[in-house]
Amino acid sequence: MFRLPCAAALLAVLAVPASAQNSAPAKKSPAMPGMSGMRGMRGMRDSSRVGTRGTTSKRKKTTSPVAGGAPMAMTAGADMEGMAMPVPMPKGMPMIPGLVGLTPAVTSFLPGVGVDSRSLPVAMASRLTRLRNGDTLDLTAMLVRRTIKGHSYVMYAFNGQSPGPLIRVPQNASITVRFHNRIDLPSAVHWHGVRLDNRFDGVPGLTQAEVASGKDFTYTVHFPDAGFYWYHPHVREDIQQAMGLFGNMRVDAPEPEYYSPVNREQTLVLNDILINGDTLIPFGKESADYALMGRVGNVLLVNGEPRYSLRAQKGDVVRFFITNVASSRTFNLSFGGAPIKIVASDVSRFEREERVASVVIAPAERYIVEVRFDRPGRFTIVNAVQSINHYLGEFTSEVDTLGSVAVAAVPAAHDFGAQFAALRANDAVSRDIARYRKYFDKAPDKTLTLTVAANTLPLATVQFMNVDTAYFAPVEWVDGMPDMNWLSTARQVRWILRDDATGQENMNIDWHVAQRSVVKIRIFNDPKSFHPMQHPIHLHGQRMLVIARDGVATKNLVWKDTALIPVGSTVDLLVDASNPGVWMLHCHIAEHLEAGMMTAIHVDSVAAGAGR
Amino acid sequence: MTGAFWFGRTLLLVSLFCGTDGPFDIELFNTPASPTAQGHARLVFAESPFGVAVTADGRASYDVRIDASGLPDPATLGAFSTYVAWAVTTDLTEWHRLGRVTNGTSVVGHAELNKFLLVITAESSPEPRAHSGPTILHGTSPSGWLQSFLSHPLFRGLPP
Repeated sequence: MFRLPCAAALLAVLAVPASAQNSAPAKKSPAMPGMSGMRGMRGMRDSSRVGTRGTTSKRKKTTSPVAGGAPMAMTAGADMEGMAMPVPMPKGMPMIPGLVGLTPAVTSFLPGVGVDSRSLPVAMASRLTRLRNGDTLDLTAMLVRRTIKGHSYVMYAFNGQSPGPLIRVPQNASITVRFHNRIDLPSAVHWHGVRLDNRFDGVPGLTQAEVASGKDFTYTVHFPDAGFYWYHPHVREDIQQAMGLFGNMRVDAPEPEYYSPVNREQTLVLNDILINGDTLIPFGKESADYALMGRVGNVLLVNGEPRYSLRAQKGDVVRFFITNVASSRTFNLSFGGAPIKIVASDVSRFEREERVASVVIAPAERYIVEVRFDRPGRFTIVNAVQSINHYLGEFTSEVDTLGSVAVAAVPAAHDFGAQFAALRANDAVSRDIARYRKYFDKAPDKTLTLTVAANTLPLATVQFMNVDTAYFAPVEWVDGMPDMNWLSTARQVRWILRDDATGQENMNIDWHVAQRSVVKIRIFNDPKSFHPMQHPIHLHGQRMLVIARDGVATKNLVWKDTALIPVGSTVDLLVDASNPGVWMLHCHIAEHLEAGMMTAIHVDSVAAGAGR
Repeated sequence: MTGAFWFGRTLLLVSLFCGTDGPFDIELFNTPASPTAQGHARLVFAESPFGVAVTADGRASYDVRIDASGLPDPATLGAFSTYVAWAVTTDLTEWHRLGRVTNGTSVVGHAELNKFLLVITAESSPEPRAHSGPTILHGTSPSGWLQSFLSHPLFRGLPP
């Protein structure tokens, strides 16, 4: 049922003449040796299926983004052909000949052009800001000077802090936030995951006007749900978020035993940044670059720094509040073999706590986990993934160190080992969700297909994409084709949410649902598109359950605001449409959002007292 | 119920459950030992609290749903009583037993290899420590279709 429109989209892409595909984007357009026209189909003769029987994943990693330590073992494309290619390529990975010398068809942008960086304040670490109901916070987006791996950059911060202030409030509090935009772009603040008044959701063009540079806007933020949230701009996230505008909000439940007792709590804000040597890779001014995969950084950051460290005592249980604020990267986090218990996600605790081997966290998601360090020593926090080398057709194991926990031999002051060993059932969560179970098996109210269209990409990109579509991983953990990716802009790539019922796409979709209705949305991520990729889909202002993936019911539910949709997967979301207003539904890969992958759902207000 | 209704339902089921040739579908091929056997497998992420199920080192963790038909009585192939699915590394050195397979739908798991062959053999018990009987169906994980451009001039001189 999904394949016909997707096939049509693919044909539409392939039908674009080669001359058109290669006409606009580049300042220079060298010929692709040995290739001239478009491919309408591709295949391998049967004998090609006789593969080598070499073991997989044994190829040593030749490069990777490394947090901390020595600078990246990267070579610029400029080194390959003497061309001005600032994009770091994996070591040993040549650029595609037809791309050498090309640049994205956008003007370069970096924060603070013309500003004397010595006049800027040095960015500070995030500070805890406790607020009570009725309190007011002044939040200023500003230019700062940040040092990463010994190099100084002009970036952004909230109140001089990156991450921004950790706002901690009691559940059901309302606060006033006076936002002051003092950066060199229009901005706004979105309160991600919070079911607040639609007027204050912070989406320019939908709920408010952009806040121009030098101007202000006052938000009222109400926190109805305990949990862990974050705030960030909803204007050119590809620039503003990547350059440091993000912060967390922790909403405390009134119950003192909402979480198990632990020895300490830590916030981990995961991010990455794209640097070549001592230079930030510029952004597209008129539209986002890196539109195919999103900008995948090569320096991994925790709480804004390349190396996280924590000291603990033997037996300590640490509760980590984890947020992925990266533009595109999905992390797979583990703690040096220390046992991990998953407790909560975006908008609630899980029905049941579980043991996990690692934490998979897509952009914009949050997970709360507890980790026990039960022996002295150093526990290395790593991001471990299997990347795909699309040129070699192989997987490569990549392990990047994010930080470490140094555990002293001194026993923990309080032994919470028994509490850690127990896996709690959160009956209150299950009771809440039980009210929605009668909707689990209903037919989908809405269906969406995720796909992409492209035009005027460089011919070499098109050719390689066409011949390399035999397999796309459900999740692309790293950018295996940074040259192609860099050259793609939001002018050339259009990421699409398509309403299967009407054929309408993105903001042309006109969905209305009644307040207090329960809406089942089925999302299919088309694996046959020009460049299939996973999408973390975020719904503003409501909460939702991921009730099934590929026809398999979810056994341990949790309220979410962001759900990862892997390539080729069909995911069923059950939305508690309780909050009236016009709410964005979009991919949280910043460049995909800039390339159009968004729609709005109208939750139409109904008279108070009307039942579900 | 009208014919059109059932036709529509059938189309829906076919589209949902008969594979989309995406990153999760495996076409199974028979062998001379079992010319009547047919099958298709679909990889489904193992249960996980996250959006995808992966191991700590990042390999996908799949349950394997195998739809098979035409499997002969294993006793006709020798001293065998059942069929067993294996995830096998592409160098054939590691065989990971997934579970018992019958005609119809069998869900076995977990396959946690980047690239693997899915092999179904006749066995004398449903939980053999090693494979011993003839292969009756086999296929390649979708990741096995990754193409190498090593022969391209770009890669000449690169270490293997």
